[in-house]
This record gives sequence, C-alpha cells and structure tokens, in this order.
Amino acid sequence: MSPFRLTAAPRAWAVALALSALPFLSPLARAHEGHDDGAPKAPISKTIAPRGAAASAAFELVAIPKGEAIVFYLDRFATGEPITDATLEVETPAGPATAEAAADGSYRLPAPWLVKRDPKDDHLDLVVTVTAGADVDVLPLTVALPAAGAPAAEAGHAEEGWLHRLTELLTDRLAARDPGAGLAAAGGFLLGLAAMGLMRAGRRVPVLAVLVLAATLVLGAAAFAHEGDHPESRMAFAPPPADLAQRLPDGAVFVPKPTQRLLSLRTVIAAEDSYRRTVSLPGRIIPDPNASGVVQSSVGGRLAPPPSGTFPRLGTKVSPGEVLALVTPPVQRVDQSDMRQRQGELDQQIAIVQRRVDRFLKLAPSGAVSQVQLEEAQDELKGLKDRRTALDRIRQEPEVLVAPVGGVIAEAAAVAGQMAASGQMVFQIVDPGKLWVEALSFDALTPASDATARLADGRSLPLAYQGAGLADRNQAIPVQFGIRGGSEGLRVGQFVTVLAATDTEQRGLAVPRASVVRTANGQDVVYAHTAAERYEARPVRVAPLDGTRVLVEAGVKPGTRVVVQGAELLDQVR
Amino acid sequence: MLIQRCLTAGAVLALLPVWATGVYAHDGTGHRGGRVADAGPYHIELVTKDRTVEVYVYDAKEKAVAPAGFKGTAILVVGGKPARVTLTPAEARLTGEAEVPVGTSPKGLVQITGPDGAAASGRFN
Repeated sequence: MSPFRLTAAPRAWAVALALSALPFLSPLARAHEGHDDGAPKAPISKTIAPRGAAASAAFELVAIPKGEAIVFYLDRFATGEPITDATLEVETPAGPATAEAAADGSYRLPAPWLVKRDPKDDHLDLVVTVTAGADVDVLPLTVALPAAGAPAAEAGHAEEGWLHRLTELLTDRLAARDPGAGLAAAGGFLLGLAAMGLMRAGRRVPVLAVLVLAATLVLGAAAFAHEGDHPESRMAFAPPPADLAQRLPDGAVFVPKPTQRLLSLRTVIAAEDSYRRTVSLPGRIIPDPNASGVVQSSVGGRLAPPPSGTFPRLGTKVSPGEVLALVTPPVQRVDQSDMRQRQGELDQQIAIVQRRVDRFLKLAPSGAVSQVQLEEAQDELKGLKDRRTALDRIRQEPEVLVAPVGGVIAEAAAVAGQMAASGQMVFQIVDPGKLWVEALSFDALTPASDATARLADGRSLPLAYQGAGLADRNQAIPVQFGIRGGSEGLRVGQFVTVLAATDTEQRGLAVPRASVVRTANGQDVVYAHTAAERYEARPVRVAPLDGTRVLVEAGVKPGTRVVVQGAELLDQVR
Repeated sequence: MLIQRCLTAGAVLALLPVWATGVYAHDGTGHRGGRVADAGPYHIELVTKDRTVEVYVYDAKEKAVAPAGFKGTAILVVGGKPARVTLTPAEARLTGEAEVPVGTSPKGLVQITGPDGAAASGRFN
C-alpha cells in the first residue's frame, strides 16, 4: 500500500462520515418540529408586542403579556371564529389559575408574578387547558416577554465599559452606512502614511505634529459621539409596540387578534375535490304548462260578468270549471235583417200550421181527416216552433268562459262591456305552487345535470331538468327546469340566473368567490392563514365554478386555511 | 480496493438516515412501554396505569436523566374533562396520583421544570 493510499483512505472515510451525518441531522431537526426548544421567536417587528401562540386541531390561542396580566385570545382553528365562552385554566409559575373572560371577547389572566420575574427571563412557558363545550384541549404555550425596563439595560451597559460601547457605536455606524466612519478611516490611513514618510525622512518634529493632530481628531470625534446619538438615547424615543396590522418585509400580513375580530376574518380548510363546471344561463320564471291555463274567448263579443256578478280579481283562487265571464257575440246588421226575415217567415208558417192543426183537431174525430194528417201537422208545428226558439237563443245566449285548470288568477283583462276579440286572452290562471324556469342555453345540457337558480335577492332555488328545445332561439336553445321545493315569493316572468352543471369535471379547491383578491399587478391571490396572526398571499390560478364559488386549480395545497371572509380588507393592509 | 471502500462508504451513507429515523422517531413505545414525546431538550416517556401517572425523562441521546430537582405537571384529558396531576421525583421517575382513573393512553400534556428552572412540555395525542 502506498503512503498516498494510506492517507487517502481515512480522508475518504471522514468525508463519507461527514456526508452521512447530514441526513442524520435532518431527522433530528424534524423530530423536534412543532416544539420550540425553549427559545421564543424574536418579535417580527419592533411595533409588535412580544407574544406567544399555540394551536391544536380545534383551537388557536394567542397570549400577549400586558403589564401585570396576560391577555388570551381563543379562536377556532379551522374557521377563525372567536370563542368567547370557553374556560381557560393556565399552569403559571405561581400555580394553576383561571383566565377570566373579558367583555371584548378576550380572556384576562392576572399575573402579578410577571413583574417580579428574573429580568433575564425572556420567555414564559405556560400550559393552557381549554374547555369549550365538548372540546377539551391542552395547549403548551411559550410567551415571549417584553424586555426588562430601561434602567436595567443602562446598568448593564455601565458595567460592560467603554470598549463595548465603542464596538456598539462602530457597528451602529457601519449598519447605518454612515459616510463619516469611512471618511475617518481614510483620514487616519493618510495621516499614518504621512507619519511613516516623515519618519523615514528622519524628521522628528513633523512626525510629532502629525501624531498630535491625529490624537486631537480621535478625541474630538469620541466627544462628539458621546453627545450625539447614543443607541440608548435613541431607544428612549422609540414608540412602544402598538400591535398594528402591518405588512411584514417578507410580504406576509401580520394581523393582531383584536384586528382579526374587527375585520371578522374567517377561514376554511381547503379540500381538494372534483367539481362539475357550471354555466350560468339567463332565465325567467314561467308557469308549469300542465298547471296553468289561459281563458280566451272563441268568438269576438261583449264581455259580461259571470252570474255571480263580478269578474274574478287578480289573485283570486279558482277551481276548474268555474265560470269566469260571459261573452255575448254581437249580431251584424245584415245578419240581423236576415234573422228578422227568417223570424217573420217562421212566424208566418207557424200561424198557418197552427190553424191547420186546429182545423184537423176539429175534423179528426169525425173521420173527415185522418189521424196521420193530424199528427203530421202537429209535428210540423213543433219543428217550426223549435226553429223559432233556436233563432231566439242564438241571438241572446252568450259564450261561457270557464277556468280550464285550478289556480290563481295571474292576469285579468276583463272589463264589463268590453269587446273581446276572438282568441284574446281574458284571464291567465297559474298554480303558484307549480312554477318552472326557462333558460336559454348555448351548450347542450345533460338531462341528469343539477341546476340551481339564483334570484336577484341572493336566494337560490334547486331545479330539476325537464327538457330542452331543439329550435334555435337567439342562437340558444330553451331549456326548462322544474322548481323543486317551495316557490313562495316568485312571480311569473321574474328574471333568474340559472347555474347548470356541465359534463366536464375539474379537480381543485372550491373557495368562495370573495376569497380571491386581485392585486395591483393583476394577479389573483388568496390569503392563507399560516400562523395565529400571520396571513400570506398565495398567487393562484382560478377557474369559474358557479355563482358563489370559484375553483382554485393551482397555488394552494389542500389543508391550507384560506381566508373566505375579509380577504379584501386583509389586502388593504400596508 | 478503493472501489470497495467507496461502496462501503456509500452503503453507510445510505443506511444512516434509516437508522437515524429509527432512533429519533417518537411515535410508538418507549423503554417502559409508554408513549414518548419531545419536551424541549428532553424526551419524556409517559406511563399511565389506572390512577398512577409516571414520567421518565431521557436526554436527547435516549439516556435516562435522574429526576432529582425536576418538577412536573401532567394535564390529561379523561372523558372530556381535564385532570391535573402534580408530579414529584421518586426513584428514577416523576410520579403522581390522579383523582380519577386515567386509562392507559390518555390525551394530554406533560410539563416538566428542570433543576435550572427551564420549563419544557411534551404533548401526547
């Protein structure tokens, strides 16, 4: 074995081991996921008070230390709905205590031990037992504590001495990109160069002068720094944390719990499913053709009320066969003279036959006239009288308009004495319990497809497909749906939007339309509730689904808590 | 020979994550048949039997930690009601008596406070 191999092999082993340790470290980190190892997260912004949050499958809890108390906010995890009637038992350093519900929906835990704590403690570990109705959960909570008061900080600095202060000043200057610091460094460098050059030349006096100049500058700068902006003095002017809703540098939105309640933010846990794409069609309410009818006059004539004396009013309930109106056909002048003529003729014939019958009646018993002749004459008279009566009846008897179906008078155009044209609709009868919707569709709908009708007031009606026409009407085909369930408050002719499902199925997450917000750059986003008080905008691709929901096809994973109420307000947070 | 070593190294590299996952998975049972959870720098094992609640403390390397100086509280949800059990060191464990029988695998949380005053809690679901 060569010496090279001897050295190379252990090295290879070392590298291999180091590499293999990497995956070893990652499960370790994963094993601790969900647990904070005692170190609370630093406040994300200086204007946000220190706080702590915990969540379980049922609850989301936020604790904010405020003076001598800790304020808790409890919400449902999935919906973000505040829970104001729960019992919160807290394991505090001073033993178990119960947080009292406050009027604003929060819970207040008096914590006098908070001010007496060790100033070095920057966090507090609490265990909160939440009982809300039937749900019980135990939540561990690490609450970050506000920094101890200013005097303590000052004392700490005094002990650390000037060196610490100088380094702090320098780092501060560098952080602030102060041009003064750079200039001072460049100046010092130049002075050093000058001093070295002079020393080489063997001149003592100018060297001393340069050194004195440098010392003056350094001391002067130090003095200036002391009366200038010392970090401590600047800290005194920093406003106290006000807990304002704000957009964080990483683009997420921080919304404190009280503001969440004010904006009434609600979420749902998005779940992926397959949905049928729906189309929205313009439609209107029509009466069920089998449960409605029109009353028309078959002849033109003068309208007269039925024997009851009044025409049925709008909204009157009528039963099938009920007389609604009478139509008396007018008799034309020429017809009238014709009828007079015929009447005269008939009257004349009746008079002649009557006399003949009378004569035959006298002669028949004696046998001068046969019984047959008498009976013939009597029959003739009867026939003539019948014809005469019929002529009278035709002149006088009106057409009776009856209700063809039962229902309610939906339209009435009857006025006494009005001349109704032949075929004119006098009444329309509709059964208000049986209404249909007729929509115009540009796609062929499948008979099995579900549909709903949305009214202008936001109500929606379930519809059952009845049939579609094939004849084109305005480049669309009429499709009829029956209204399932109640149809109260609807009127015939009312416009509705019909949402009918088509055959094409899409997979995605259905979210309410209001949860998608269009940002200034035209991108559609939804807000995901990622932590108790943190919302993140997620760019999404959406497709129309139905009237109230849209389908998120990409951009949000199932299980994400998506803001469904108040997303528009959340988007306004700057 | 070099190839052989490379292969060995590769095998070790491939197997280590499996071994690591085995060691650090906290689901399942611990040394005493109880459930194990993370609690800050410690791993704790919860063993419940009838009314007795026992908590064993291990460090990150699964080595038993002497319970002297530790304090603990277990809050266990029993029949929809929380039961609070104060745990005191006894022999190699922290133990306490609940007021009601807690069963063998109650849902809940164990909070332990170390000798240095740092509190840590482990959740059992």
